[in-house]
Amino acid sequence: MTLFELALKNIRRNMKSYSLYIGSTVFSILIYFTFATLKYSEDISGMAETSKQIKGIMGASAFVLMIFVAIFILYSNSFFMKKRKKEVALYSLLGVRKKSIGFLLFFENMVIGLVSLGIGVVLGFLLSRMLLTILLKLMGLDIVAGFAFSMNALINTCIVFFIIFLFTSLMGHRIIYRFKLIDLFHAEKKGENVPKARVITAVLGVASLAIAYYLALQDLTESQVWRVFGLATPIVIIAFTVLGSYLLFHSVLVYVLSALKGNARWAWKGLHMMTASQLLYRIRGNAKTLTLITILSATTITSGGAVFGVYYNAEKNVREYTPYTFMWEGEKQAIDTSIIESEITFYSKMIRVALDKYEMEYVVIDEATFGKLAKDLGWSDIQKLRQNEVFAIDAFFDERWSEKLDSVTINKVEFPVAKFYDKVLFNVETLGGNAIVVPEQLYDEIKSDETLIQAVKVTNYKNQSAVSDRLAASTENFSSATADYKNTIESLGALLFVGSFLGLVFLVATGSIIFFKMMTEAEEDKAKYAILHKIGVSKKDMNRTIRGQVGVIFTVPLVLGLIHGGVALVAVSNMFMMDFLVPVVIWMLAYTMIYAMYYFATVRSFIKTIRRGYLEG
Amino acid sequence: MESLLLVKDVEKKYGKDANTFKALEHISFEIDHGEFVGIMGPSGAGKSTLLNVLATIDTPTTGDIYIGKDNIAKMKEEKLADFRRDHLGFIFQDYNLLDSLTVRENILLPLAIAKIKPEEIAKRVDEIAGTFGISDLLNKYPYQISGGQKQRTAASRALISNPKIIFADEPTGALDSKSATDLLESMSSLNEKHETTIMMVTHDAYAASFCRRILFIKDGRLSKEIFRGSKTRKEFFQMILDELAQMGGDVNDVI
Repeated sequence: MTLFELALKNIRRNMKSYSLYIGSTVFSILIYFTFATLKYSEDISGMAETSKQIKGIMGASAFVLMIFVAIFILYSNSFFMKKRKKEVALYSLLGVRKKSIGFLLFFENMVIGLVSLGIGVVLGFLLSRMLLTILLKLMGLDIVAGFAFSMNALINTCIVFFIIFLFTSLMGHRIIYRFKLIDLFHAEKKGENVPKARVITAVLGVASLAIAYYLALQDLTESQVWRVFGLATPIVIIAFTVLGSYLLFHSVLVYVLSALKGNARWAWKGLHMMTASQLLYRIRGNAKTLTLITILSATTITSGGAVFGVYYNAEKNVREYTPYTFMWEGEKQAIDTSIIESEITFYSKMIRVALDKYEMEYVVIDEATFGKLAKDLGWSDIQKLRQNEVFAIDAFFDERWSEKLDSVTINKVEFPVAKFYDKVLFNVETLGGNAIVVPEQLYDEIKSDETLIQAVKVTNYKNQSAVSDRLAASTENFSSATADYKNTIESLGALLFVGSFLGLVFLVATGSIIFFKMMTEAEEDKAKYAILHKIGVSKKDMNRTIRGQVGVIFTVPLVLGLIHGGVALVAVSNMFMMDFLVPVVIWMLAYTMIYAMYYFATVRSFIKTIRRGYLEG
Repeated sequence: MESLLLVKDVEKKYGKDANTFKALEHISFEIDHGEFVGIMGPSGAGKSTLLNVLATIDTPTTGDIYIGKDNIAKMKEEKLADFRRDHLGFIFQDYNLLDSLTVRENILLPLAIAKIKPEEIAKRVDEIAGTFGISDLLNKYPYQISGGQKQRTAASRALISNPKIIFADEPTGALDSKSATDLLESMSSLNEKHETTIMMVTHDAYAASFCRRILFIKDGRLSKEIFRGSKTRKEFFQMILDELAQMGGDVNDVI
């Protein structure tokens, strides 16, 4: 039998343990190839021509993704190799030369790599078509996703993964030479020394997180740090975050678990000490995994939060300055009556009002018009004007620098402002943000040209481009929420696209990594739970321990990831000058919910594996 | 006096229809309180199956097993777990210690599961560790101690909850002769001084010679029963060897 046949046979026989590894490899290739296809796609690059920024974002994301898949594959590969050390030892014991075994492993890994590459590319091609269609729709672009197979993407993917596979294969090859036979036999059994909590590590961890947070919250325009590090600043921040998280897990978690385990009152009750020592026992491996999960969670939360925040704000911004779908000066235009929600026609005048230092031009409307408009916009605090009073409206009012109008002088008579509204009453683009509401009688007395204004609200305003375009061509001083919204979304298109894609990828990846990890632990823990079963631990107690053990692995990185993501989003929202609070909270809740679903799925499979373990054994 | 363990016509079948294999057939016997019973027989005779069935780890196909008043052959899984916890102790050939717990924690595990108070637990651990001479090892981890020490740890764990009966499955199988003797002597003295009931499966005649009574099992059936009575351990050892020789065929397997 040739070595090649042996390698192939090996894979075919151990399909079950291989499938986990192959699965994660295919998944990585699938994700990377999909992104590469989209990156090289003409639809996207056509859009990218409009902005170099977009190209930059896509390039940077591809890089992040590459690092991620590399880590992910290395990670699953090391799990896989650990499981197979015994098999390798057996070959060695039977007298197969190290050289041959090394070659076998190298060969086998390359075969797996190439097969997964094939599957990943095919699946990736299908997925990218689907994703592009969805994403273009999300961006509000009516382009049919009819892009072809991208040769560039294929070449790019092949090169990247060939290097990764070469690396893992070499690693596998190296294992044979580095270890002695006796070690290989005990590979699975070897107990890690129980780690000790060191104060210095904890302090260092907190310090690096503090530095990272401090850097992240610097003002982009003024900060010295940004001047020194330039565009490398984000990398510095990320490096400090990763380091800090790792040290924190390594020290704080060890400390807490040791303290819990040492406390007889807590630990010697049911299986508490079992839960604590299980976690402690694997702390070194766990610290790495937890860090990875934290960073992935933080990335997902940040990218998703930013995208969702921008998306959310896009609509809010439009709404804030363009409350009516369409507004224009002049006569009524024909609009399909079935889509009209409300339609108001009114007159307005312009006056100049002298303020302390300068004069301002104000739109003037009478009280009846105000009533109609405000009621249409659903204002709740509409008051009645008394004789010789006016209302003032300032859509741009900001306490920090705006002046609050107390009174206005019209026709040389001073009128006190009975109520000041800092909300928008009509489309800013058509009439501006400032207005004064006066009684009918006063309105008639103002000598100024009167303008006829049309304000229209329609249903489903985001998708009324045709109507909007027609009206824009035939009217004057036209403003349209439809067009504003479309412009905003399109200009944010690439950001949205990259953000949501990465968010999706990382969400799936984070869940999968924890799942893989916990399943591997379940396999390793089978024997332990079988012992517990034998000495009379009930199913209920065991399930509780499993939930606790899995729960810590899920909760701890989620909490830290949420904090990281929160800080990053504050930084992002400062950069964009947008208020992210509501969308970010919604997004974090959504993330936590999906994450919780992964938790329940993992616990379920974990329990199943353990149960199968002791019922068969 | 009512017997502690009563086995009535137990049968264990594997497989279905034509492929049925009977691991145990018509097994009936009793063990009284304070006995030290050995079960011997060639490989594949059904020793371990019998022990697993008695120890509630496996369930018999037919028949009844009473421990005290409880029929464990008819118990539900959750109740069985509690029963194991409260009334049974186990010693296995491969120790079955949890390597992420210290020796102390391994020993006290059954008490922790039974929700005993920490003060009480600490006292009982010290006592039992003294009995087995492992007081100095309590804070070590299983991978730091020798096989004999591991087995004494396992024995301490089996005994700490004062079980009604101890099941030992080839407890000396992986030990050198010195450690094996130490362990067997401790078990024997526990049996004599504290009237602990022990049932041990072994195919080592030397280990078996520490018992008071031996049941031989062959092809899934009980074939013979011998008592030590007033004989010395050495005489009993010779008796066992003779018995095994008579059983024929598989002697190689035994010695």
